[in-house]
Amino acid sequence: MVVIAESAVRLGWISSFFLAAPTRAVIVLWEQIVHGNALRLTGITILEIAACLCIATVIGVFAGFLLWRYKLIGNSYEMFLATLFSSPVILAYPIFLVTFGRTSAAVVALSSIFGLIPIIINTKGAFQNVNPILLQVGASMSLNRKQMFRYILVPAVAPAIFSGFRLALTYILKSVLGLEYVAQVGGVGMWLSDAAFKFEVEEVYAGLLGTIVLSVLFLYAINRLEVFIRK
Amino acid sequence: MNRRPNKALFAAQIQTPFSVQALTLVIVITIWELIGRTGILFDELFPPMLEILRSLWRFITTPLLLPHLRASLYEVGGALALAMITAIPLGMLWGSRRSWLAIVEPLILYAAVVPKIVIFPVFILFLGIDVHSKLAVGAIAAFFPISLLTIAGMREVKKVYVDVARTAGASAFQIATYVYLPAIAGQVFTGIRLGMGAAVTGALLAETKIAKAGLGFMIVEYYGQFRIADMYSLLLFIFILAAITNWTLKFLFSILSPLARGSGDPGMYF
Repeated sequence: MVVIAESAVRLGWISSFFLAAPTRAVIVLWEQIVHGNALRLTGITILEIAACLCIATVIGVFAGFLLWRYKLIGNSYEMFLATLFSSPVILAYPIFLVTFGRTSAAVVALSSIFGLIPIIINTKGAFQNVNPILLQVGASMSLNRKQMFRYILVPAVAPAIFSGFRLALTYILKSVLGLEYVAQVGGVGMWLSDAAFKFEVEEVYAGLLGTIVLSVLFLYAINRLEVFIRK
Repeated sequence: MNRRPNKALFAAQIQTPFSVQALTLVIVITIWELIGRTGILFDELFPPMLEILRSLWRFITTPLLLPHLRASLYEVGGALALAMITAIPLGMLWGSRRSWLAIVEPLILYAAVVPKIVIFPVFILFLGIDVHSKLAVGAIAAFFPISLLTIAGMREVKKVYVDVARTAGASAFQIATYVYLPAIAGQVFTGIRLGMGAAVTGALLAETKIAKAGLGFMIVEYYGQFRIADMYSLLLFIFILAAITNWTLKFLFSILSPLARGSGDPGMYF
């Protein structure tokens, strides 16, 4: 496909107004990395993702634990969360722009919600599915509540919570990049939006390439981390 | 004497998930209304609930939104149709051979993570700012859940079904339509339902960026004019519409799916 695209542009089958030659996109991306803003913008995007992940993990694990601990509340709110998760909440981004202004804070606030829900649901499920035999073993060893939590519950729920964490990171990544593009704030997404606004075709494809590379690297890193943790 | 058990019974009766959900809604609406009426917090951000409902009623009872609704429905419907036409056959093709799956599946999984809205500028270059560029974003967004679930369904099809069809002399097309499709229907229907959600989000989000019409376009218009109550009511309208469509598809697919109809009793097939 890359060869076809390169040939099509070089031979003039497709106007360079619509499609940039892949080699040109790579060159422009490299120039942006070396001399331009690409690294700074990537840094902003990564910081936003990290902030979302921290917020979603801290609040999500705590909320998931509470929803498991208080069954009535848990059963009641699980449906709310599922409904919220399946609705197009991202369309509400103008509300966040009104509240936080056209800043990274708006992106972080909304994207955290996308990370929060899978972490809450997975944490609640993880506590619910702890093997009762493990708890009985803990009780037979006369562990107190604190020890039971530290030595039995936490190791038992960790893999399932990590699955939620992995899912959350994927949703946060998509939401942060998408919102940066749509709202024209923050890092890599904003660069792409700016390039499109100025009709800089080569820069649009370079930005798109940068976004794809960033997404793929993130997923690869998560997969490696998961393999490492499960070992 | 009997008071205490009655009280306990009453307490048990009201302590249900439904009552907690209803109570939460009442509390949220009351707090919202209080903030909206008194203006003590973010004056513009919390318009009174009555104002939002009045605006929602206007949207439902007048043809104000009709051209925008039509544009969005065209984009979402077209996107879903395009995604189904491409993703189901491709998913079946990729899922039918292990060697193809080994090459294609990692690529699809990695591509699925990329936010589809970022491809929008490329679609604008090729298709312009009219409805077709949004339709394309919606189609790309819907393609991934449908194709991935089709592949997942294909993986679960027992080889013996295909072998039986082959020994009966079925052609490749007959195997696809009479063996694979009924066997993967449940997964494909789930993929279509998820794909519809992705198409709605993709198309409407693209509308908020650049558009001439559509519900997403109207959200940004109201935001630009600072008509916050109208913006909230339109969002509510979209959420309700998306939920109704989701439930309808769920219900429809539960009737259509052969897995749902099957009772697990082999006798029903003879």
